[in-house]
Amino acid sequence: MAGKKVSLFVQCLVDSMFPQAAEAMVSIFQRLQIDFDYPTQQTCCGQPAFNSGYRKDATVAARRFIEIFENEAVIVCPSGSCVHMVRHHYPELFADDPEMLARAKTVGSKTFEFTQYLVDELNLSNIGAEFPGKVTYHDSCHLSRGLQINSQPRTLLRHIKGLEFIEMKDSDTCCGFGGTFAINYPDISTAMVDEKIENILASGAEVVTGCDISCLMNIQGRLSRREENVKVMHIAELLASTAGGQS
Amino acid sequence: MSKKIESAYIEGAKKAIASPTLQKSLDNIQDRFGKGAMQLWKELEDQGMRDRVKESRMRTLAHLDIILMELAQKVRKRGGKVFFARTAEEAVAYTLEVAQKNQVKSVVKGKSMTSMEIDIDPALEKAGIEVVETDLGEYIIQLAGDTPSHIIAPCIHMDRHDIGKLFTDKLGIEPTTDPPELTMAARKALREKLLSADMGITGCNLACAETGQIALVSNEGNIRMSTTMPRIHLALMGMERVTATTDEQRETLQLLTRGAALQKLSTYVSFNGGPKKEGDPDGPEEFHLVIIDNGRSKILADLEFRESLACIRCGACLNICPVYGKIGGHAYNSTYPGPIGAVITPLLDGVNKHADLCKGETLCGACLDVCPVKNDLPRMLSALRYKLAYGDNRWNVRQHNVKEAYVYAAWQKAISHSSAYRRMIKTARLLQKPFIGKNNMIKKMAGLASGWTDDRDLPPIAQRTFSEIWDEKYAKRQQQTPAIKEETNNEK
Amino acid sequence: MRNDLPFLDNIRKALNLPQGQERTKLTVPTLFEKPDKSATRRRIERRTYQEKQDLINIFSENCTNLGTKLHIAGSLKEAEDITVEIVRSRQPEFSYNRHIVLHDHPDIAAMQLWKRFNRESVTVHTTFSGDHETTEKTIASYIGITVPSISIAESGTLVQITSAGCPRSTSLVPSIHIALIRSETLVADLKEACCLLEDLKPEDSYVFISGPSKTADIEAHLVHGAHGPKEVHIILLKEEPQQLEPQAIQVESESPSEEKTESETPPEQACTLDDQAEETAEKS
Repeated sequence: MAGKKVSLFVQCLVDSMFPQAAEAMVSIFQRLQIDFDYPTQQTCCGQPAFNSGYRKDATVAARRFIEIFENEAVIVCPSGSCVHMVRHHYPELFADDPEMLARAKTVGSKTFEFTQYLVDELNLSNIGAEFPGKVTYHDSCHLSRGLQINSQPRTLLRHIKGLEFIEMKDSDTCCGFGGTFAINYPDISTAMVDEKIENILASGAEVVTGCDISCLMNIQGRLSRREENVKVMHIAELLASTAGGQS
Repeated sequence: MSKKIESAYIEGAKKAIASPTLQKSLDNIQDRFGKGAMQLWKELEDQGMRDRVKESRMRTLAHLDIILMELAQKVRKRGGKVFFARTAEEAVAYTLEVAQKNQVKSVVKGKSMTSMEIDIDPALEKAGIEVVETDLGEYIIQLAGDTPSHIIAPCIHMDRHDIGKLFTDKLGIEPTTDPPELTMAARKALREKLLSADMGITGCNLACAETGQIALVSNEGNIRMSTTMPRIHLALMGMERVTATTDEQRETLQLLTRGAALQKLSTYVSFNGGPKKEGDPDGPEEFHLVIIDNGRSKILADLEFRESLACIRCGACLNICPVYGKIGGHAYNSTYPGPIGAVITPLLDGVNKHADLCKGETLCGACLDVCPVKNDLPRMLSALRYKLAYGDNRWNVRQHNVKEAYVYAAWQKAISHSSAYRRMIKTARLLQKPFIGKNNMIKKMAGLASGWTDDRDLPPIAQRTFSEIWDEKYAKRQQQTPAIKEETNNEK
Repeated sequence: MRNDLPFLDNIRKALNLPQGQERTKLTVPTLFEKPDKSATRRRIERRTYQEKQDLINIFSENCTNLGTKLHIAGSLKEAEDITVEIVRSRQPEFSYNRHIVLHDHPDIAAMQLWKRFNRESVTVHTTFSGDHETTEKTIASYIGITVPSISIAESGTLVQITSAGCPRSTSLVPSIHIALIRSETLVADLKEACCLLEDLKPEDSYVFISGPSKTADIEAHLVHGAHGPKEVHIILLKEEPQQLEPQAIQVESESPSEEKTESETPPEQACTLDDQAEETAEKS
């Protein structure tokens, strides 16, 4: 893979709360000998504001993102919903501004979710990972429905040595996160995440994984409160694991 | 965001979540019909059908003046009467006038959402007219003095025990909880009403301008009864429920019955228009079609929301929505619950008044996928939130939450400068220390996001953020990234 | 009390059209354009004997799924026997008297049912146009017999068109609906049915009936007979080509041409027909 270079777009939640997921992604690129860069001016793509209706504020974030990333060749992000934001909502934000709209579309076309990049762009399925244990996968909404990314993470998981992949029931049903929804409507959100957790537990998996830390944070938060014995890991962490542990 | 919103929506949701009967029914209906519809669309032989119908729905809407005029002309040619009602009040007044002119004493109703929207029952009852709902679910709801909680399964919040007790109380039957026995009891009671009523009031699933006939869909046969036995048939029609040609009507109906209950066709799809012919023993002597605007033209005028009028009211979005799946229909406090209700209720009845419906979803997108005409409800919910965020003149929307707006304005400043942003993260890392409990999770938060920790833990901000790790570990590894100027024009 | 003008004007305003300028269907003629149906018509007309057999199998399977009882009759005489058997074996639901009501249709008249019941307490009514007591007679009847104009294999559907002497209530108010159909009226799907309907140009109302009345409003428990008929019987009149005519359905599966049919039909469908044949045989 020498000669390739990606620019890391690290979701704000990953940056501040789950840096291990970004580090895992970096270690995979190192293993694959793909050069990478991290534009340090990046902050947030604007998704929380957009989803709450604050489009003017989100537009500021979007404009900034485009300026920071538009000269990069390939942008890779370990979060489906952020990629969805860039690809699908940026053009909405700039619908009335032809110049920005064109720039937004250009940036969108080269922004990839991490597993999508590995499988669709690099044609990889086995990246030499090894992880002993039973793992189930949660389909994040914006990833599976918005970006149609369903098979890519599964392909990668199935090729991890030692990993037993188990599908849970209703893997593509929303976990109840929904950004500020979880904060404003905690009762509904909890009822939803509880159903997700029942399905995770019923699968018998020891680890639940996914491609979007927002959902995983929600699931982890509820698992922890319920004191359930299931571990939550970002898919990059599983893919970074090797015989000697995480590389 | 700044304080917990306690609203009818949240209250209703809590009540629903606490009801095991409702939760079981919701699971059941979603497992069968929601997933079933998704599967059905995947297996549909004619994969172009949904797009074709959507296209025809949108074309109809763009030419609604022509099509409604043609419809009215054709219905009148058949001897039917057409009344255009701009408001609910006009529709109610006309209906009442028809009833009184014909000395109507009793009305049987075939399940109609529009009749609930215009709230016709109280007006008729006030005029001394008996009103009986004839759809079994609606009848049960009426006996219980309750309101429906699902478009096609109105009483899913009640179980056989509730219904058995209700029937013993109200119909005087021997106590039973057996669904067939209960159904037969209602069959008997309603048959008398259906055979003797003076007037039948129904909705209109889909009118056709080419023929001047309206299609009505049912499985029970109550709608056929209501349109066959009484002297008068009055159909209430939302003005968008029309197609130009029979070909469009057929395809749309096929999607409706599939989306609603996975049926290729419902048990009965009847096509009526105009009164009975000379010599016919049954069928109504008078046929009235009331075409209702009641706020729809305002939706029609706004291209952002026009799509919502393409809805064919199959209820599939209710059957897939994970939020509806937990809170049921009552929490929406509207004739139209679920994702479609969350979009059209605010538009018909006030965005601020129904702000919770705009904000109380996760935008997961399942409703878009299951919608037979692929209505982008998440997009419209997001557009409604935009209006609530800053206020909107066209729809008379006030800024919904000043505090929240302030928070996002501050957020916008913070994310505009990476150095300020990183300082903010550092500060938060310091402030969170006292809240971190065992297994390194935050158990309780104050203020802004306290809702999160009601039932959930939160991972704390990491000892080292990725940007810090990057600076320490990776930045020097390679050449400097070309610096991008910090935006300064946003600073005050 | 007409509101047409302000109402439609308001819509024109919503559509951003110039005020006061009325559009008619002539303004946008494409709106009411009908798709070309010649291919569908050809498909219906050129259906081979084998394809028609297949349609019957599909129809049979869908009827079974819906809870409709399909009987196959080789002649009107057999149809008559099946009808008599149903009338005799069922009890009235709402009264003690056995009344049945028939559409005024030549195929039903040809069965001469009144003759079959002239020594039984079964009263046979026909819904002659202009009879002012038809409604009362229909309400009193526990069985209604009609001849739908079209039937649809894909969905097990009957298309019942209202006309003089064939009122709406006959297929609706009695507890049991018996529909007598000829195999020629069977089409593959709704599209074909609508194509034929366009030619028939029904003046009056019509209805698609797929199975008995049903509800699942109580705990999603399926119950037949909510308001309409609890039972629907379809008697499919399938007159074989000349040389096979005298043979009743019991013989059908033994006839050489039928054996060929059977080997080409998926086993479960063949089985459905067989069962059907046996059931009919038992009854007659």
